[in-house]
Amino acid sequence: MQETLQTLVGGLSLGAVYALVAMGFSLVYRTMGLVNFAHADIAMIGAYAASTFYLTSKLPFAVAMLVAIVVTGAIGLVIERVLRPLENKDFDLMLIGTIGFGIVLQAVAILIWGTTGRAVPSPVRAAPLDLFGVRVRTYDLLVMGVAALAVIGLAWFLARTKRGAAMQAVAMDHEAATAVGIDVGRSNALAFSIGAGLAALAGGLVGPMLYVDASLGGALGIKGFAAAMLGGFGSIPGAVVGGLAIGVLDSYAAGHFQGYSVLVTFLVFTVAIMIRPTGVFGERTVSRA
Amino acid sequence: MSRIPRPPTTTRATVCTAVVLTVALAACSAPGDSSSDSKASSGPIKIAVVDAQSGQLSSLGDWEYKGAKLAVDEWNKKGGIDGRKIQLKLFDDQGDPTAGTNIARKLASEKYVAMLGTAESAVTIAMAPVLQQAKIPNITSGQSDGLVALKSPYLFLNGPTSTTYDSTLAQYLIKDKGYKKIAMITNNGSFGTGEHDAFLKAAKGLGVSPSTDQVVTTDQKDFSAALTKIRSKKPQVVFIGSEEVEAGLIVKQARDLGITAPFAGAAPQGTPVFIDTAGKAAVEGTIVSSPYLSNDASDASKKFAAAYKAAYGKDAELHGAKAYDGANILLTALKTSKAATGQDLADAIRATAYKGLLGDFAYDDTGVGITKTTIGVISDGKLVAQQ
Repeated sequence: MQETLQTLVGGLSLGAVYALVAMGFSLVYRTMGLVNFAHADIAMIGAYAASTFYLTSKLPFAVAMLVAIVVTGAIGLVIERVLRPLENKDFDLMLIGTIGFGIVLQAVAILIWGTTGRAVPSPVRAAPLDLFGVRVRTYDLLVMGVAALAVIGLAWFLARTKRGAAMQAVAMDHEAATAVGIDVGRSNALAFSIGAGLAALAGGLVGPMLYVDASLGGALGIKGFAAAMLGGFGSIPGAVVGGLAIGVLDSYAAGHFQGYSVLVTFLVFTVAIMIRPTGVFGERTVSRA
Repeated sequence: MSRIPRPPTTTRATVCTAVVLTVALAACSAPGDSSSDSKASSGPIKIAVVDAQSGQLSSLGDWEYKGAKLAVDEWNKKGGIDGRKIQLKLFDDQGDPTAGTNIARKLASEKYVAMLGTAESAVTIAMAPVLQQAKIPNITSGQSDGLVALKSPYLFLNGPTSTTYDSTLAQYLIKDKGYKKIAMITNNGSFGTGEHDAFLKAAKGLGVSPSTDQVVTTDQKDFSAALTKIRSKKPQVVFIGSEEVEAGLIVKQARDLGITAPFAGAAPQGTPVFIDTAGKAAVEGTIVSSPYLSNDASDASKKFAAAYKAAYGKDAELHGAKAYDGANILLTALKTSKAATGQDLADAIRATAYKGLLGDFAYDDTGVGITKTTIGVISDGKLVAQQ
């Protein structure tokens, strides 16, 4: 019982990070119909930026995170601007463009920060809580709290603000949205930069849990992408459910199948996708190509 | 509000620029990509260093390259070998066996005299058949017993094998310390599997079976399940068999889960990356089996550490020292054999008796030159010899 609960706690904290990554994937996808393959590498840049401002510039962790989010949001804008001429023209080239940007970002990270990564000490010094023999790290609670706030904030933005509503409109029908006077380009740019900011949030938060190096994106990207698929690509609640599900599934698979855990995790994922190809919350498949 | 469509030429130009930029930058990141042929008996002596410069094992590859380069620079400063300069070229294997085999073919076609590296046994094992066929001697930094099992006459190790590391460790834990309850956590990669098998065999040979034997994957990030099982067994010591970063994460999470037993392991547990990843407080008391405990061990190591610091501004550690020894053995063999190649060079390496930073090297038919490690303990964030 203790082991089951401890495994659940471990899975949920990483699951919260996967959920943030999945949300970024989904936000860009629902707005533009594009899978941003550079997303995980933007998260890696975010992790590096946050750790640099935190460790080297000695800023408080929260401030370092905000700066990192702004920096990566700007990178998101640049990527969108370069790809914009292709919007609604050549979808395949756009996809390949995002893959290219991912490779560029990895190379840039190695140029700036070198091949040896860095360990980020936890900004929360408090000892882990002990609840009936189950240990909960205080930092993990912070991560889950921030992730929850990000979900609520994004949902509020999409549902309650004019810009958010405009983005929803573009997601539904970009031609009709153009006809009623919505700037599709600006809407896409916003989606890209919010997506990049979410990636930075995920990367910055995961830094003290893991180890920051140029390959961090690979670790986050595959699980985050799977989470988005599982929840229903393009759905924000789906991203959250998918992220937590992948995190917990991964933890239990590790406990029961040890060395074969990755195999089991993705077998279960594949079966789930076969049974419900649109994911848990996906009610439609967006095709904008 | 909608934007005026741009003329198609501009579109194409932008895309072209983006693609060209992408390609150009990607090319920048992969060093060692030109093809120049040199004759075997004149001009510089071409030696390849193959180590991961990107990916999760890149810090390992970085240390190895720095150690090898330091040795070569010193020889070049003294005038090279037979008046010929030594040309060192770095190839990035990304820690990936497939990338490694491609590089091996490249080395064969571009007539490299010898190869130093890789730091990852799996990559070296994948490259060995090609190198053996091309008769290119290889001094690797790997330590897996699988390397010895290949029985390639062209493959040499610049350090002890896992068996040496782990039998010394098991001897210390079980005989000297009298530990009976030992837990194991290893990963399923080539290094972790090698450590698992070597330690298990050594411990069983001394009459102790581990109380639990947990296997994790190489890219796992959450170890709650395995560590909770270990905690419930209340071990006196936990043997850990995985690379630097993952081992650091395991120890960090173990401390958060309330495991107070010390950890014990081989080379990766003595490195700064391991100590930083886990945190100084978490690694206190970690028992390490290593042939190179600290930079202050001898006059030779002090000299090496000073030169390393002067060249790179960083503190030297085991992997740099290993690569430095390996490069020096190769260069000594090249000197004694008057820059021979192929079979003659391999024989010259085998005949080289070298007093290195790790100890006294004397190669046998298996390609192992050194079979001794010592026990150290991490105290206050530094690895010190066990008193």
